[in-house]
Amino acid sequence: MAGIFVFSEDSALAGQLLTPALALKQSLAQPIVAIALNEADAKALASLGADKVVVLAGKWVEGLADAIYSQVKTAEASVLLVGGTLRGKHVAAYVAAKLNAGMTTDAKALRIEGGKLLATRVLYAGLAVCEEEVTLPAVATIRARTFLPPPASATAATIETVAAESDTRVTVGEVTSTSSEGIDITAANKLVAVGRGFRKKEDLKLAEDLGSALHAELACTRGVAEDDHWLPIERYIGISGQTVKPELYIAVGLSGQVQHMVGCRESKVIVAVNNDERSPIFEAADYGIVGDLYEVLPLLTAALGK
Amino acid sequence: MPKCLVCYKWTLDEQDIKIKPEDLSLDSSRAKGKISDFDRNAIEEAALLVEKNGGAVDALSYGTPTVKQSLKDCLSRGPEKAFWIGDASAEAADASVTANVLAAAIRKLGQYDLILCGEGSSDLFNQQTAPRLAALLGLPCVSFVNKLSVEGDTVTATRKLEDCVENVTVKTPVVISVLSEINKPRIPSMKQVLGASKKPNEEIKIADLGLKPEDLQPKAVRKSVKGFVMQRKNVIYKESSAADNVAKLKASLVSEGLS
Repeated sequence: MAGIFVFSEDSALAGQLLTPALALKQSLAQPIVAIALNEADAKALASLGADKVVVLAGKWVEGLADAIYSQVKTAEASVLLVGGTLRGKHVAAYVAAKLNAGMTTDAKALRIEGGKLLATRVLYAGLAVCEEEVTLPAVATIRARTFLPPPASATAATIETVAAESDTRVTVGEVTSTSSEGIDITAANKLVAVGRGFRKKEDLKLAEDLGSALHAELACTRGVAEDDHWLPIERYIGISGQTVKPELYIAVGLSGQVQHMVGCRESKVIVAVNNDERSPIFEAADYGIVGDLYEVLPLLTAALGK
Repeated sequence: MPKCLVCYKWTLDEQDIKIKPEDLSLDSSRAKGKISDFDRNAIEEAALLVEKNGGAVDALSYGTPTVKQSLKDCLSRGPEKAFWIGDASAEAADASVTANVLAAAIRKLGQYDLILCGEGSSDLFNQQTAPRLAALLGLPCVSFVNKLSVEGDTVTATRKLEDCVENVTVKTPVVISVLSEINKPRIPSMKQVLGASKKPNEEIKIADLGLKPEDLQPKAVRKSVKGFVMQRKNVIYKESSAADNVAKLKASLVSEGLS
C-alpha cells in the first residue's frame, strides 16, 4: 500500500490539503500524489510539496469519481484526502464505497496511530467532538481553511495528464453562479452576524452601520438567509453553511443554537447582543450586552466608530 | 409512474442530549427518537412526487432494534410500506456498513426508479449514504438537490452547491440526496396517523442479505466522544443603561486590541 492522495476541485483548498498530507507523509513515509483538474493547479500543487500530480480533465467534477477511484486503487493508496466542498463530499463518499473504505467527514485534525488514521470531527451538529479511527485505506474530507497551505518548496514533482472517463449518465445543463457579490466572508477579520431578532429586512441597516464602523462584514443565521432571504446564502454561518474564524464575531439578535455556533466557535472573541438574558448565546460569548438591539446597536456603532 | 424508495435513519433528538459536566460524556438517556431531519425532506419529496405523477413510495431503514418505533411516524408521512432492518450491528455501524446493508436490502427488494436520501443524518452528518449507495448499486447519483421533477424515465434536478446552482437530467434508476430546503415536511394529520397503523411493514433480517462478515465490520470506529465545551469569558453587561453597557463593552474590546 503506498501513496497519500489529495484532491479538491477548489484550487485554494487543494493547496491546504497538502498541509495534513505532508504531516501524514512523515508518519507513513509514502509519496503524496495530488489529483488536479488543470495544468495550473498541478504546478501549484507541485510547488507546495506534492511528489506527483495527475491531471484529470473533465467538466463535471462528480463525474470523475470513477477516474479518481481508479487512480487511488491502482496505486493502492493508504489515504485519500478530499476537499470538503459538496462536490468533494460526493466524490469522496463514492470513492470510499468503491474502495470498501471508511471515511471521516469534515476532519479537523488527522494523524496516524497504530497503522490507522485518527481523525477528529464533530457530531450532533457540533454538540460533541469525537475521535474516529479509520482502517487504511482511509478517506477523509477536510473543509476549507481547516489548514493553512504549506510554505512553497521546490520539489521535482512529476506531472502526468490522464485521459479520464467521465460519468455520461448525468447530463449537466445550465449552471448559474450564485456567489452574487463575490464576497468571501470567511476571509473577513471581523464579522457582525444577524439573526431573527431583527424585525424586518430594512432594520439590518443597524448591523450594516456597525459593520462599517468596525470594517466588519455582515454574516447571518440560516433563518435569515434561507427562510427570510434577507441576505445571500454565502453569508450564512453554521453546520451546513460557512465556517469562519475571525478575530471578532459580534452576534446580534441570534440565540446561539449549536447548529449556528459550530460555524463560528473558533472565532477569537465572540460578542453577543440579545434581549434575552437566558439566551444560550451568552454562554458562547466572551462579552455580551443584555438589551434591545434597536437601542444598543446605534450606541455601539457610535462608540466603536470613533 | 415512478417507484420510489426512501432511505431514512432513526436518530436520537440532539436537542435532548445533555453534556455531563463532570466528564463531558453525553447523556442521551432522556433523548427521544426521531426520523432524521433531512430524511423527513426525502420522505416528503417522494410523497409529493407520487401525489403528482402516480407511482408508489416505500421506505427502508436500518437501525438498532429501536428502529421499529419509527414505522408509524414514517408511514404517516406518505410511504405505503416500510421495510426495516433492526439489528444490534447498527449501534457501531459507520457509513460503509450502513451503505452495505441498505444496498443489499435494495437488491433484495428489486428495482426502484428513484432512491432518495436526506443529504446527511442529524446525528453523524456523514453525508455519505447516497453516493455510497450509487457506487454499490452501479447507479448514477445526483446529490444536494433542492428541486426535483420526473417525467417518464427522465429525472430533472436542481442541485444547490456552495457557489452555483446546477441543473441536471438523468434517466432512472437513480440515487438522489435532497437538501432541507426542497420542501417543508408535512405534519401528519390525525387521519394520516391513524392510517399509518393500517399500512404494512416488513422486517428484513440482516442474516438474509447475504452479507460477508467484513461488510458488517465498521472501518471508521468512534474511539471517544466528548461534549464540546466553549471556553469563553462570559462577561455580560446587563445594567439598565444601554449607554453604560456599550461603554463597558468598548473598554473590553479595547483591552482585547479589537477597537
